[in-house]
Amino acid sequence: MSPEIPTILQFSLQRLAGGVGEHGAAFAAGQVGLIGMMMTLSAKEYERGADIRHTENEDMRALFGELAGGVGDAALKARLEEAAGSKDESLRISALNANNYALRRLLTDAQIYAEDHGAQDAQTRIWAVLKALAARRLVSLGP
Amino acid sequence: MSDLSQRLQDYLRTRLSAPDLVVAGLARIPGGASRETYRFRARYAGRDRGLILRRDPPASLIETERTTEYRAYEAFHGLGLPVPEPIALELSEGPLERPFFIMEEVEDCQTGSIMSPDPFGPHAAKIGQQFFTVMGKIAAADPRDVGLGDFEGEQDIHAVAAHEVARWEKVVEEDEIEPQPIVRAAIRWLKKNPPPPAQKISVVHGDYRTGNFLYDAGGDIRAILDWEMAHLGDPLEDLGWAIDPLWSGGNPLVGGMLPRDEALALWEKASGLKAEPVALHWWEIFASLKGAAIWMSAAREYAEGRNTDPINAFSGWYTLAFHNHVLAQKLGAGS
Repeated sequence: MSPEIPTILQFSLQRLAGGVGEHGAAFAAGQVGLIGMMMTLSAKEYERGADIRHTENEDMRALFGELAGGVGDAALKARLEEAAGSKDESLRISALNANNYALRRLLTDAQIYAEDHGAQDAQTRIWAVLKALAARRLVSLGP
Repeated sequence: MSDLSQRLQDYLRTRLSAPDLVVAGLARIPGGASRETYRFRARYAGRDRGLILRRDPPASLIETERTTEYRAYEAFHGLGLPVPEPIALELSEGPLERPFFIMEEVEDCQTGSIMSPDPFGPHAAKIGQQFFTVMGKIAAADPRDVGLGDFEGEQDIHAVAAHEVARWEKVVEEDEIEPQPIVRAAIRWLKKNPPPPAQKISVVHGDYRTGNFLYDAGGDIRAILDWEMAHLGDPLEDLGWAIDPLWSGGNPLVGGMLPRDEALALWEKASGLKAEPVALHWWEIFASLKGAAIWMSAAREYAEGRNTDPINAFSGWYTLAFHNHVLAQKLGAGS
C-alpha cells in the first residue's frame, strides 16, 4: 500500500501543524475530514498489514511451486523454484514489502510467459491468485 | 485582505477594465487535487458576481493543461451546454505566482458524492437522463465546429485506442511505486485485444462522471466541471469512464443514476452513435486501467512530498485497490 503509514502520519502532522485553516473554514474542514479518514484507514492497515503481505507472499510462492514444472525456459524455471523455496525471515513491513515486490515482479514474468505460450491452465491459476490478492487489498470505509 | 486576494483584485481591475472592482470572501474549496480552487465575489460597476479561481498547484495529480480546460469551457458554454462561463485565462506566473483561470460560479448547487450509495435521492433518474444526454451531445459535436479541432489527441479512428493505452502506460511506467501485476496484465490485454475503430473522433471530456457536475435543488444539471483532461478521441472513452463501478458507490445503477441499458440508450440517442458491446467492453477495461494509473500518480505525488493533500493518499489506497479489484474480476473471469 503506497504511500506507507509512516509517510501518511508525517505529512498529516505537517499539514495540520502548518495551518490548513489559512484558506478558510470549508477547506480546513475538508482537509481535517480526509486526514481523519486516513488515520482510521491507517489503524486498520496497522492491524492487517503484515498478515496481508505475508499471506500474499506465501500464495505466490505456492503458485510458483506449481508452475515451475510446466515452464520450459530454464532461467525462469530456476527463478520460480528459488522463489517457491524462499521465506519471510522478518515480519517487519519493510522486509515483507521487499519480498512482496520481488515476488510480484516474478508473477508478472510468469504470467507473460504463460500468455506467450498459450498455457491456459497456468493463466487460470495466476488469475486466481491475482483476484485473491486484489480482494484482500480492498479498503473498507466501514467500521 | 490576504496577499492572494489583493493580487487577484489587482489583476481583475486591469483585466476587466474595472478600476473600482473589489474582491471579497476569497476561500479555498475542498477537493480538486489537480487545481487549487477558490470561490470569491467580484463587486464592480454595480454588479456582485460569484466567481471561481482555478490555480495550478505546486504539483498536480496529472500534468494537465489549463489552456485545454479553459478552451473546453469556452467551446461548450458557447454551444449552450451546462458549462460555467469562462472569464479569464492567465498563463504567466506574474499575477498569482502560478497559471490560473477564472470562471463563473454556478451557485446554489451541489455535487453527488461517489462515497454515497444513493447520491441523488429522488432526483436520480432525472439527473441521469440529463447526464447521459449531455455526454451524448458532447460526443455528437464536431470538434472543428466548436473550435477544438487542434486539441491534443489521436485523430485516426484506427489508432486512437492504441494512442490512449500508450498515454496511460507511460504514466504507469513513470509513477509505479510498487509492482502492479494486475495493471500490467490489463495493459497487455488492451494491446492484444484492440477494439473496433472509433465511429468518429470527438471531444472527450476525460473525467465525465458522478462528482464532476453540479445540480440544483430541482434536479437540474447546471454545470459540467473539470475539463482538464479533455482531448480528442473515441467518444466511447467517456461512456466507459462514466459507467465505471467506482462512480456508483455500490449502487447497481450506473453512476448511482440509471439502469445501464437506459443510460446507454440515452447516450446513443443524443450522440447518434452506437454503444457497441465489444467496443464498450474494451473501453470499460481501459477506464479502470486509466483510473489505476491516475491513482498511482496521486500516490507518488504524495509519497514524494510534492502534493501532500490527503486526497492523494486516499487515492493511493482506496481507489487504486478498487480498480485493481475491478480489473482482476473482469480479466480473470472464470479463474
